[in-house]
Amino acid sequence: MSAPSIPNLLSLRGHGSLGRGRGGSHRGPSSGPSVSHDTIIQGTDTDAAVSRLSAVELGYLSDPFASYFVTPSPPSFHSGPSSIPSTPRRLPIINRGTYTRTTAIDILIDCFLSSTASSGQPRQIVSLGAGTDTRSFRLFTSPEKHQNIQYHEIDFPVIISKKSTLIRTITALSGILSTPSPVPNPTTTQSYISQHKEPDTGNSLTLHPLDLRMFPSSPTSLPGISSEHPTLLLSECCLCYLPPSCASSLITSFTTNFPSLGLVIYEPILPGDAFGRMMVSNLSARGVTMPTLSVYQTQQDQERRLKEAGFAEGEVRSRTFDGIWDGWVTTREKERVDGLERLDEVEEWKLLAGHYVVVWGWKGGMDLEVGQQLRQGDDDGDETE
Amino acid sequence: MSDLDRAIAQLRACRPIPENEVRELCHKARELLIEEGNVVTVNAPVTICGDIHGQFHDLMELFRVGGDVPDTNYLFMGDFVDRGFYSLESFLLLLCLKVRYPDRMTLIRGNHESRQITTVYGFYDECLRKYGSANVWRYCCDVFDYLALGAIVLGASNTLSQPAGSVPVGEDVEIEVCNADQQIISRFLRKGPNGAMGQQQQQPTTNGFSESGSSGPPAPTNTGPPGSGASGASGGSIGNPAGAVLCVHGGLSPLIDNVDKIRLLDRKQEVPHEGAMCDLLWSDPDEIDGWGLSPRGAGFLFGADIVKVFNHRNDLSLIARAHQLVMEGFKEMFDASIVTVWSAPNYCYRCGNVAALLELSEDDSGLGVLARSNGDVNRSDGGMGGQGPRGVLMENDLLGYNRAGPARRYRVFQAAPQDSRGMPAKKPVADYFL
Repeated sequence: MSAPSIPNLLSLRGHGSLGRGRGGSHRGPSSGPSVSHDTIIQGTDTDAAVSRLSAVELGYLSDPFASYFVTPSPPSFHSGPSSIPSTPRRLPIINRGTYTRTTAIDILIDCFLSSTASSGQPRQIVSLGAGTDTRSFRLFTSPEKHQNIQYHEIDFPVIISKKSTLIRTITALSGILSTPSPVPNPTTTQSYISQHKEPDTGNSLTLHPLDLRMFPSSPTSLPGISSEHPTLLLSECCLCYLPPSCASSLITSFTTNFPSLGLVIYEPILPGDAFGRMMVSNLSARGVTMPTLSVYQTQQDQERRLKEAGFAEGEVRSRTFDGIWDGWVTTREKERVDGLERLDEVEEWKLLAGHYVVVWGWKGGMDLEVGQQLRQGDDDGDETE
Repeated sequence: MSDLDRAIAQLRACRPIPENEVRELCHKARELLIEEGNVVTVNAPVTICGDIHGQFHDLMELFRVGGDVPDTNYLFMGDFVDRGFYSLESFLLLLCLKVRYPDRMTLIRGNHESRQITTVYGFYDECLRKYGSANVWRYCCDVFDYLALGAIVLGASNTLSQPAGSVPVGEDVEIEVCNADQQIISRFLRKGPNGAMGQQQQQPTTNGFSESGSSGPPAPTNTGPPGSGASGASGGSIGNPAGAVLCVHGGLSPLIDNVDKIRLLDRKQEVPHEGAMCDLLWSDPDEIDGWGLSPRGAGFLFGADIVKVFNHRNDLSLIARAHQLVMEGFKEMFDASIVTVWSAPNYCYRCGNVAALLELSEDDSGLGVLARSNGDVNRSDGGMGGQGPRGVLMENDLLGYNRAGPARRYRVFQAAPQDSRGMPAKKPVADYFL
């Protein structure tokens, strides 16, 4: 949810006076005492954006675009004269989690891109509920000089329109991408496509304003999405907000139509233990519910989910955040990250990180086995760039 | 005095006191604390508490469960501040109570009672937010520097006191676990002379020790109270039955082989990044042999062998420490030679854990406690253990296993319900990865 989280929460409780100073807020137009569940879910994106900026400003992650997607928050109402700078700052445990989450998805996307690079044909990344994610900008400007990436982001119209405006108006973004131009979209109003300005890369970003509950039975009815190209479908804590049947049929619409497909899902798990029960209750107090959480409760459930969706036994993997931090972050990188802030939350980290899983599967001409990627990362010592 | 009582009343209502009053309070507290040694001597009965972390409403619940000050004699093992939203009110209330009832309130330092840590984990920001300047934070940090590093509890009884109206406590009860409503959840009997023990499964008593010191610590067995998941509880303690209880926030240090060495430290400073003082506040017990590197980046991990030798050498029956989140509120380890007590329920409003406090009863029979040690090695062990090679215990020492350490009553409690006490309770928001 939005940051600072406390004023936002109080707004949910109807403390109207706290709304002042929030003009031009990034939370969308309908914040207030009667926020809808959709608005709350949209707010979770702001939550992620603030966490990302916190991790960037403290040196966990390198992301020159993170700051453009966070509106500086006004000083809290009971601040004294010399109030705390409004730069958001999360606790070390959250920063480490944000680092782990970003690194994990980065590594899997690197796997996808490197295992499909030789084809010379476009590669599609379809990011569900992408919100303010900066990954497309990072990919397009990466020193790897990636080519032929057709990046698709699908999110609520209000989020897409905001992002599209930002790309138009922020110089650092419009320097990379052309002005988003409308493309007709039979499913919804219209989508917007921006081309990477660097010549001859074949990279583009297409923004689809679409409520995922209305997702078409065939993804190819969305402009620019083709089942012919190797495709990576990405859900960073997104499908969990959908009704389970919606989430399943969305996944199935890809697995049945796309011969070359990778799927990466990142979601919380274990709603039934003491920590998990508290998580469910805390989130529901904020109006956040995750209908799929009770369906896919464990890491094994999540793997089964992918196998049932058509990924072969040997091509499904999963790791908890805890396991990603332990196994995918090199010793050198761990030392660097641990050196940024002293993490005195060892037990809590294990608890929290054990309640998030990244599960992924692949089929048809790509390989998302992570081992090789890590050895490379070890050599470079710089896998997060 | 009446000013102090007024401040206490105000803080109990979770309202901060004015900056000038904080300055005065901190000044008085420092005058008091400067007279205390690095290791404070506390006489049983005493109620030992672990981390609080600014969870003010849960601190109020703790006082409800454990009894109010000064009726109950309290020992808090540090980490009063950071993480929760009411570090300021929690710490100032404890400090007020310390000044008001110095003999009924013992505060020792945790690793969060530090300038550096509080700037990362919330107390600094909270002071800035509530006063508009960092002055109050500075006053509090100056007090932190004077907090004792540990405490020694003397005169703890081998039998539990019997609260009015409760089920009679037999002399053979070593551990009793109660809930917040004074109901007994479980009791564990001491091992008899023939090794028979009460209620729960038997645990080997003499493994983990050999002349060579090569055998590992006993595998952790879940022998704790049903539903608590606590381990090692019913195995009975193996420490010196006459011994004292050392209380420290984190644990042991490779630089400290006897309690006297703690007394010699110069504590009146910011917590250093390394060294004995740092270790006492940062270290953790772990299922390892000897010493290990800590994942926290400060302090060390230490195994059962380290604890048993230290306890033996210093005539301690138990080490009580805090510092680590324990979902069940308390956790005894290494044949009950060390216990972790955790007093912040639903830590960070997110972890879903219960909290506990540890009550040690007063020995009023004159029989339960055979000797009173204050942990001074040369007085309590005849100069033997202090010089003995580490890791070697005599056969005779092992015979002492049956005469277990102090009887322990754990009171387990949950987070205070929000808005339940008519106090301003800002509904906490816990962060997740969304």
